[in-house]
Amino acid sequence: MASISLRNVEKRYDDVPVLRDCNLDIRDREFVVLVGPSGSGKTTLLRIIAGLEHVSAGELRFDDVRVNEVDVGDRDIAMVFQNYGLYPHMSVYDNMAFGLRRRKLAAREIDRRVRSTAAMLDIEPFLNRRPRQLSGGQRQRVALGRAIVRDPAVFLLDEPLSNLDAHLRVQMRAEILRVHRAVTATAVYVTHDQVEALTMGDRIAVMNAGRIHQVGTPDELYDFPVDRFVASFIGTPAMGFIECRIARSQARTELAAEGTRIRVGEAHANVLLRSDSRDVTVGIRPERLALASLDEGQTSDVAIRGRVEAVEMLGSEQYVHVVVDGGAVTARVPRSQRVRAEDNVTLKADAQDVHLFERATGLALR
Amino acid sequence: MKHPPDSATWRRSGRLIRAAAIVAALAWSLVPIYWMLATSLKTEIEATRLDPTLWPHAPTLANYRGLFGGSLPFLSFFTNTVITCLVTAVVAVVLATPAAYALSRARFRLRAAFGYSILVFRMLPLVVLLAPLYLLLLNVHLLDSYAGLIVGFTTFGLPFAVWMLKSFIDALPPEIEEAARIDGYPRWQILLKVVAPLIVPGLLTTGTFVFMEAWNNLIYPLTFVTTLEKQTLPAALVLTFTGQFKTDWGGMMAAAAITTLPLMIAFFAVQRSMVRGLTSGAVAGA
Repeated sequence: MASISLRNVEKRYDDVPVLRDCNLDIRDREFVVLVGPSGSGKTTLLRIIAGLEHVSAGELRFDDVRVNEVDVGDRDIAMVFQNYGLYPHMSVYDNMAFGLRRRKLAAREIDRRVRSTAAMLDIEPFLNRRPRQLSGGQRQRVALGRAIVRDPAVFLLDEPLSNLDAHLRVQMRAEILRVHRAVTATAVYVTHDQVEALTMGDRIAVMNAGRIHQVGTPDELYDFPVDRFVASFIGTPAMGFIECRIARSQARTELAAEGTRIRVGEAHANVLLRSDSRDVTVGIRPERLALASLDEGQTSDVAIRGRVEAVEMLGSEQYVHVVVDGGAVTARVPRSQRVRAEDNVTLKADAQDVHLFERATGLALR
Repeated sequence: MKHPPDSATWRRSGRLIRAAAIVAALAWSLVPIYWMLATSLKTEIEATRLDPTLWPHAPTLANYRGLFGGSLPFLSFFTNTVITCLVTAVVAVVLATPAAYALSRARFRLRAAFGYSILVFRMLPLVVLLAPLYLLLLNVHLLDSYAGLIVGFTTFGLPFAVWMLKSFIDALPPEIEEAARIDGYPRWQILLKVVAPLIVPGLLTTGTFVFMEAWNNLIYPLTFVTTLEKQTLPAALVLTFTGQFKTDWGGMMAAAAITTLPLMIAFFAVQRSMVRGLTSGAVAGA
């Protein structure tokens, strides 16, 4: 039970900045995911919340109390590490009881808590085994158990699923969410996998190069990315981008590149009127694009002509990667439509499915 | 028509050369040991013959019996050595473990300089430290005592122990200790309850290494110990078996064998992890 708040947090290693001006408010019992490519600073941010790293500037608060100077052991947090970090020389039971013993709990109470946690995670049969006698998935459960048995206020998870195979990963995702609902802890979860982030987070903080680009619900991030980075990072396959010129006439505003013509809707037209730039980056998600005949291309709001670079077959559907003048887009199309590499195709979309970004800054125009 | 030697011939001769090199290296190191053991089993007359025999013609344990039953306090030499070397090993490991932990994990200014200064101490020849140590022990009245010898042995064993243990601690994944910090344990308890149990092979190996070094040390006991009864085995060997007019080769070799034996046993017990300890950190994943 704790809210966490980061105020202008900075971190430098020998004058090399790894976190810049990070602000984040995490509500009590919320499940927040920090997501970003490797080197984005997400693990550093998590370790700062844990107290394993100190901030170079800024403030960290738990329940509105400054904890910058509070030692790791006194922060009432628990952490699950990427490589589990189990005590190899202790049994599963002792791994879970170790932290409770430090808190001077009665042996009977420790036993009760360890056994009920083990029951919740289905690891009762392994209580007397050593970590090396367990499979990866079982170790992961023990690491989870060790964290929740202490009933911490804050539950920190650093890429806990990245060492598991794909099948087990999906299973453990659900498991972690179930555990989070069962305990009363605030959870911060680090991952580089945006699918994991979208499926697990109440809210997600997207990070890159030491900055938090956007914090929002999965829907907000997907539908209203604040900049090109968030737009391209969230969603698979990634959003396609085309650099376009703005062509204004009395009747309407159009965006154009060689082979691309976009008649923008009223809302977008107003946004473009307010902006003084002549160029704009257009982003379109793969599921919004469809293959069109030449005639349809004439009438559609959005028409994009290009050459198919590759076709990815996914069983139920296929991804068509199309190179166009000024960019590249991907379209998700039914398998019934026959497309091959090197084909010239026309793609269509609706005007409201277009995302606009300032070309110079990459910021969303809205 | 002439054929170049085919590859099978080359391979065969390559194997022969390699085998010869191995035999030569083995002979180089094993023959002295064989000679020591053989001589220790010979009678005095056979041991001093001008045309030496390759193996004892009338093997006898008389030399060994002579050691323990003779006028020399051989048993004292043996216990002196075992006690001083064992205590040295324990003291060195106990002192080196926290030092190695700090050097491996703590981030403080001059950490590297501090670590290397420990190592530099190790580079000094033994003799350089002899005079200062002698004066030191003289002033604190520890000459001619176990304690004095142990202090002397430890000064030399400690730097190596610190570095060797540091390499074992470096190899531990830091997450294990971080988990213990999150579980609320202070550093010294993490060292005792988490780090130490995980480097037990390292502690044993390091201890054995320090033990062997102390055991082999000749110049410190010769300098710091003045009473013959308090002498260690290697020093006693030099002091008692080589006389001006007569050398008891058989007795000396028997004593040498008894001096060597514990070392060889100790080495074979830990050689696997010792090699790992000396090379760990050299390659990724080691």
